Amino acid sequence: MIKRSFFSLNQPRLSYDLLEPDLKEPEVIPIPASLSLLLPEAIDSTKQALIKKGDAVKKGEKLTLYHDSTAYTISPVAGTIHLFDSYSDDFGNVATFIIIKPDLSKSSGDGTVILDPVEEIGFADQFLQKLPGAPPFGLLANDDIKINTIVITCADTDLLSTTSQYVGIKYPEEIKEGANILKRMTRVAKFCITLPEDLKTQVSFDSIQVLKTSNAYPATLPAMIMKNHLNMVLPAGKMPYDMGICFVRAEALVSLARVYKTKAAVFDKIFTLIGKDGTRHRVRATIGTPLSKVFSRFGIHINEQDRIIIGGPMRGFATFTHHHPVLPDMDTVIVQDRDIIPHLSDTPCVNCGKCIRICPANIPVNMLVRYLEADQYEEAADRFDLGSCIECGLCAYVCTARIPLYQYIRLGKHELLTLRANA
Amino acid sequence: MPTNKLTVSHAPFWHDGDSLFKMNLNILLALLPATIFGIIQFGAPALGVVALSISTAMLWELVMTLMAKKPLTVGDLDSAVIGMIFGVMLPATAPWWLVVVGTFVAVVIGKMIFGGIGANPFNPALIGMAFLMLSWKVMFDFDAAYIHYDFSFTALAPLAALKSQGAAAISDLFPTGKLIMGKQVGAIGSTFGLGLIVGGIYLILRGYIRWEISASFILGIIVTALCFNMAKPEVYGGPAIHLFSGYTLLGAFFLATENSSSPVNKIPMFLYGFFAGVMIILMRNIGVYADGTVLAILLLNLVNPLMDAIRPKALGKEVNHA
Repeated sequence: MIKRSFFSLNQPRLSYDLLEPDLKEPEVIPIPASLSLLLPEAIDSTKQALIKKGDAVKKGEKLTLYHDSTAYTISPVAGTIHLFDSYSDDFGNVATFIIIKPDLSKSSGDGTVILDPVEEIGFADQFLQKLPGAPPFGLLANDDIKINTIVITCADTDLLSTTSQYVGIKYPEEIKEGANILKRMTRVAKFCITLPEDLKTQVSFDSIQVLKTSNAYPATLPAMIMKNHLNMVLPAGKMPYDMGICFVRAEALVSLARVYKTKAAVFDKIFTLIGKDGTRHRVRATIGTPLSKVFSRFGIHINEQDRIIIGGPMRGFATFTHHHPVLPDMDTVIVQDRDIIPHLSDTPCVNCGKCIRICPANIPVNMLVRYLEADQYEEAADRFDLGSCIECGLCAYVCTARIPLYQYIRLGKHELLTLRANA
Repeated sequence: MPTNKLTVSHAPFWHDGDSLFKMNLNILLALLPATIFGIIQFGAPALGVVALSISTAMLWELVMTLMAKKPLTVGDLDSAVIGMIFGVMLPATAPWWLVVVGTFVAVVIGKMIFGGIGANPFNPALIGMAFLMLSWKVMFDFDAAYIHYDFSFTALAPLAALKSQGAAAISDLFPTGKLIMGKQVGAIGSTFGLGLIVGGIYLILRGYIRWEISASFILGIIVTALCFNMAKPEVYGGPAIHLFSGYTLLGAFFLATENSSSPVNKIPMFLYGFFAGVMIILMRNIGVYADGTVLAILLLNLVNPLMDAIRPKALGKEVNHA
């Protein structure tokens, strides 16, 4: 954890971590005895489910809950469905998890679904959404959203992670190939790629415009890339795709290129694992692998009240189980010892102004939090720029009174959406 | 296999390690050089006043939180800071009841009834001070307070002498070097200018006070004092005497910068500091008080919410021009 420096007249600087010069090969985690998959749809007991316990599945088979479901997941192994049940995330969104016991005897041949990939966005939307890197095909296939620029991210968006940089430096050819496939699918003309400016590399991406991002957090967040490199200001409350910008992980393009080359889905997700002592491991695991298998591979022992963070220290989420599966969009896993978990407080704001000085979006956080604490969400959005927040988490990081500011802001945005949806 | 219960919470999962306790501890530390000098200069009574002031300020907060059945917050040292700042603004000869009443007004009326830390619209120490100055004006006559002391320097309160005799008459009595080194009569912690400056710079470098306020405050003092001085040099003192006597430096680094009652946006911070400086000189030169620091800063506290509405446009915020 990066602490405040002794002299801090200026803002504290949080820097992104750079890729090590001599690339470490990822440690490969073997396929475990059971895998769990997340399907973003709630179980509806009034409907007849298409899957049931004991069903045999093939490697690459598409699994859906009901006939009319659009949400799906892809089984990364051949095996049998052991169990499926409800899962709810940190905002109470309900999903379904499916546990699959792999049948290792069927690992090749008849146990695998052969894809016949066509270069159409509809096909990609139907079969390729769950590729490692989570390509946003749902967004690209949506006719109501006009995308005119695709930004490939080779610069990691959260601290500590080097996954995106690793993929970008290691597989530039596949990224270019994947970008070409995506270009033919979507007919989007402009492709850009983000790369940390301090990263020393000879890699070239041909016709793809390279955006050299600053090393200071939060320069690689979508809103900051749009502001600093694309000369667009993200209007308050809007998403980048509303402005025609779509962000794609480099890893998604690598997966895409491999699918069209091998005509079979791929399931190996690369991510950065940071242990309790800060040691960084690069890991390659099959999607669905429980994190507990990864931890035991590296000898990381999870104690009571430790914290497992998925997705980075500033913007990630904490999971309640160490059996949480490896997900297609999971770039970083951090294990935090309970002794270093910072304590928050319910002290009111003392108006010290540190959040104001650090906020990249010029939000009056000191005023905003007073309204959020009082559940005045409409007022907070109208007068104190709740919608402008780019969700970097720096305000809560520096807060002297240790108010969970970013937590309040996310709750406020969530409640505001609910309020407006019900209005 | 029994599974461990994990800690679950929302991002961010890091914190820079700062806390109110650390912030207030640093403010207390920064005030120490000037306070220790005052205790050496004015003797044991000064130590008594400061100690009583800190302890009673903390006690009042403890009593109030117990009575209101609120969580005990005295450990964040906010009341200790109020008590210390309040204590060093008193003359060393202040009687015990004055200190106790003053800290009661400062902590209970200045802070607790508004809702405790962070909710006070005015600097609590100044509320207590203003109350005492209006109620027992004679106690703040520094010339009378130290009548039994035997000093090796001019035993006249510089600002009072300036007010009554004019700049020309006292021009040789208060050389700037001696003022900075604390060779003057005044409140316990306000005489040692060098110590206050060192403490203030320490707080600025640590990021615990906002340099914009201190810098513009001093600029306001210098500019206004210079204007008066150039108009009538025989009546109005120059910037040096105004800057290094009275509560000026205490105001620049410890009073005007109080978090809750000062602005946080850039332009408002400059305006706030500058006009506080201007008001002080106006009060000293035109008003009836020899030292207007207390009331001037309270006045600027009053307009702080209005000023702080001047703020930069948030990212992506649409402005509808009428």
